[in-house]
Amino acid sequence: MIASLGRILILASLLASAAGALIGFYAGRTRSAEGLQWARRFAYFYALLIIGATMLMVYALLAHDFSVSYVAQVGSRAIPTWVTIVSLWSSLEGSILFWGFVLGAYIAAATFFTRGQYAEYQPDAIGVWLACAAFFSFLIAGPANPFLTVPNPPLDGPGPNPLLQNHILMAIHPPFLYLGYVGMTIPFGFACAALIKGRLGHGILKPLRESLMLPWIFLSLAIMLGGWWAYEVLGWGGYWAWDPVENASLLPWLTATAALHSIMVVERRGILKGWTITLVQASFLLVLLGTFMTRSGVFNSVHSFTQSAIGPTILGFLGVSLVFSVALLAFRIDKLESEGNIEGAASREAMFLVNNLLFVLLTFTVLIGTVFPLVVEAVNGKQMSVGRPYFDSMVVPIGAALLFILGVGPALPWGRASREQVKKALLPPIAGAVLFAALGYVANIRNGWTLLTLAFGGYAAYVTFAQMFLPMLQRMKRGDGAGTAFVDAQLVRGRRRFASYLVHGAVVICVIAIAVSSTMRQTTELHFTKGQTQQASGHAVTFLGIEERQEPHRLSTIARFSVAREGKEVAVLEPRMNQYQMMREPIGSPDVHTTAGGDYYIALSNIDTAAQTVSITVFASPLVVWIWISVVFMGLSALFGLVPSRRRAAVAVREAMPDATPETA
Amino acid sequence: MILATLLLMLQLKVPDAAQFVGAPQGRPLAGQELLLRTDQVGSLLRCPVCQGMSVADSRAEMAVNMKGQVRELLERGYTEEQILQYFELSYGQFVLLKPKFEGVTSMVWLLPAIALLLGAAIVYFTLRKLSKAPPAPVAPQPEDEYMARVRDLVSGEKS
Amino acid sequence: MNRTVLLVGIVISAVLVGILSVGLGKNPNEIRSPLIGKPAPSFALKEVGTGRTVDVADFKGKPVVVNFWATWCGPCWEEHPVLVANARMMQPNVQFLGVVFQDTEEKILSFLQQRGSAYPTVVDEKGKTAIAYGVGGVPETFFIDRNGVIVAKYNGPMNADAIRAHLDKVMR
Repeated sequence: MIASLGRILILASLLASAAGALIGFYAGRTRSAEGLQWARRFAYFYALLIIGATMLMVYALLAHDFSVSYVAQVGSRAIPTWVTIVSLWSSLEGSILFWGFVLGAYIAAATFFTRGQYAEYQPDAIGVWLACAAFFSFLIAGPANPFLTVPNPPLDGPGPNPLLQNHILMAIHPPFLYLGYVGMTIPFGFACAALIKGRLGHGILKPLRESLMLPWIFLSLAIMLGGWWAYEVLGWGGYWAWDPVENASLLPWLTATAALHSIMVVERRGILKGWTITLVQASFLLVLLGTFMTRSGVFNSVHSFTQSAIGPTILGFLGVSLVFSVALLAFRIDKLESEGNIEGAASREAMFLVNNLLFVLLTFTVLIGTVFPLVVEAVNGKQMSVGRPYFDSMVVPIGAALLFILGVGPALPWGRASREQVKKALLPPIAGAVLFAALGYVANIRNGWTLLTLAFGGYAAYVTFAQMFLPMLQRMKRGDGAGTAFVDAQLVRGRRRFASYLVHGAVVICVIAIAVSSTMRQTTELHFTKGQTQQASGHAVTFLGIEERQEPHRLSTIARFSVAREGKEVAVLEPRMNQYQMMREPIGSPDVHTTAGGDYYIALSNIDTAAQTVSITVFASPLVVWIWISVVFMGLSALFGLVPSRRRAAVAVREAMPDATPETA
Repeated sequence: MILATLLLMLQLKVPDAAQFVGAPQGRPLAGQELLLRTDQVGSLLRCPVCQGMSVADSRAEMAVNMKGQVRELLERGYTEEQILQYFELSYGQFVLLKPKFEGVTSMVWLLPAIALLLGAAIVYFTLRKLSKAPPAPVAPQPEDEYMARVRDLVSGEKS
Repeated sequence: MNRTVLLVGIVISAVLVGILSVGLGKNPNEIRSPLIGKPAPSFALKEVGTGRTVDVADFKGKPVVVNFWATWCGPCWEEHPVLVANARMMQPNVQFLGVVFQDTEEKILSFLQQRGSAYPTVVDEKGKTAIAYGVGGVPETFFIDRNGVIVAKYNGPMNADAIRAHLDKVMR
């Protein structure tokens, strides 16, 4: 019964979204206010239906209703409740349903928050959103249907892939990823609406920016969580392997970051409109590409368990979306008139343009590296690989250039600047560069790129800090006390600006942490007999013994180690080999001791229970924890910037004026 | 008995890199340098049973064997090129994580460079174009009847 | 209409979708061997149980089937009867040889005693022979012709049809 009800809801969602899309586009052409109203109603209706269907599935999973095909596929009475909930997105059909759920929520929210405003753009935006929704409902109703009826329901199911039950991060990373990915549909809708209308004016910039920022925050966190999971679980001591599916999540993040910056130039100067729209569209298209890459089986990846037969269908939708986007751009981009100009190469606007170029170059390079093996195979049938050495050698220089711009860009003023002004802006932060590089050198860093990263990072840190508190200092100069100046200038009026600089600060910390943790990592391979103590990276490691633990779905062989520093024990680490019933080879699981200064990480290579010997690899990497912390801080700061402040009207007016006073950059 | 075992061992042969790439052309390594170079060369070889990981990073037994082979070859004085070539002859180009700069494969290195030059040109010309006198600012759109009707309709909307 | 945007957009879209469509037909985990058509690397390894040395060069003049496997590998259990049956049929015209690596002698002997053996099985310490043959995983089977040239490599568990087809190839 649940299965049939589910199918009905999905079919209804497909009809509602398709109808709503048509009505939306119709209302856009005929400028019918009635039409817009109906399109909005259909948007809400679609959201209700798809969310309802998802809730129904969650109920079926929790109730262990094995007459529903998806529950029979991933459900189990033996697993804990949190795993049951996680199993909603653990396998293909459920994950597409989850996609629909997130999309429904986003569309409902976007429809709600645009009520009474942006009437010119709304119909087309809703049309685009609902067209995308219709595609996903089609997938759920057809090729990826989780609500099929199982004729003779089994008494129990196999449960989701055991790898997914290994670590709590597996429960958090996918939802964040979906919140990031799916969310890109909304700004895509606004961007297409702007092209269709032929205007990218202040009437649409705010929703465009805010609807891009929210998924960007989720995507940033999702990518970080993915890296953190790889680090904690996979056991090779690293957090990013340039795996095709990892790259798939990075590509839309890169274009979205570029778009967020580009929007600022449109707001301030009314230029680079075409660039901005293209970047927003690219972010959505890359999301489609990403989901294709993950599910199609075309790429060799650690995520291969999510492969499925719906690859061709997604590719088809990607093709259609590409044609639609290119056509819109080609025919309408010239209508987006520039309202201003760039007065000199040494201006913030020019730096934003360079910023755009670097992000696009990075996106292009990562994309090329990921699909290149396919290209070669198509051309001459040979199989080759493009792996970490390629990506590292390409991405590090471009990343360094971006870090450089992160420092120089905000230092330069908007508009024309005299040579004196430029010198005054660009020279003092060199002190920061020298300081950071010197600190690195003293800390024994000798790698050229890492020292350069520290220098650029130090420069950027100086600029970020100086610019961050500029409004407050200006208020204080006019006589206000520090407290009121801070609250008023930073938190109330200048919230968005303050938040942006906090984000930049987090980025500087993140990049420095990545550079230092990867180049200063110490790797030691050791072989132990029971009771033996050996030294590795300033710590004494003692092998305490082997323990075997039988759990319902796996057998864990655990090696216990005591780690001591300067005579005192700092941690007991328990790396293990997990033999799952479903898998052929055991999967190693490392254990990490994390401190603010660095991580001490033990991974098992070999464990011999009979002889009580064990071989391990010890990784000592400095500053790793700051990578995770800085990204969380980045997300929170960006979220803070999104919160509207009480002085909303005043800020909106200022945002609408292209020649705002220079200090409130 | 020992003699017999020794004789037996002498008869055993495993395929040797010499069959594939000839005599070692570099100098034999030892100690810390050997470990470092093993890691470096190992990170250029792809573990054939893993999903894209290098032989240096992977814990799979096949990868450990390959890493051991790399170390032995470095000890005997084989150069990085020879070692990579040896593995390429048995496994194919698939095993090289760093694409070779030859033929079609060289494009993966050239295309980003070309893109950089193209991008720099675009930035230059865009800066030039945009530094000319600004066009007349876009006049604010008058509030039209359509918007007014929408506002009326929507103010009745409950949400 | 902006011609540049249209052209660039069409090219990028077409190339991208084209490449991905081509990729859809292929399996990224199937790696073709570069040794096909090349002489099989020579090796002489210790046979389990008897301890005598088996040299692949001894078999020159007749086709050889070299099967890399291990006792911990599930598909190897599946294909073992197929290999044994075909070996019994084709020997002495075709020589079968099993090479095991990443395993212990006791386990191999026990396996062979339980499940039958019709041809020599040797142990490849440290997997060096496997590396020379470009073995990625087990099972993998190589078909070598009378002149010592590898004519085919088969990844995965052998089945009756595949082995027949490859044997025909190697007998010619």
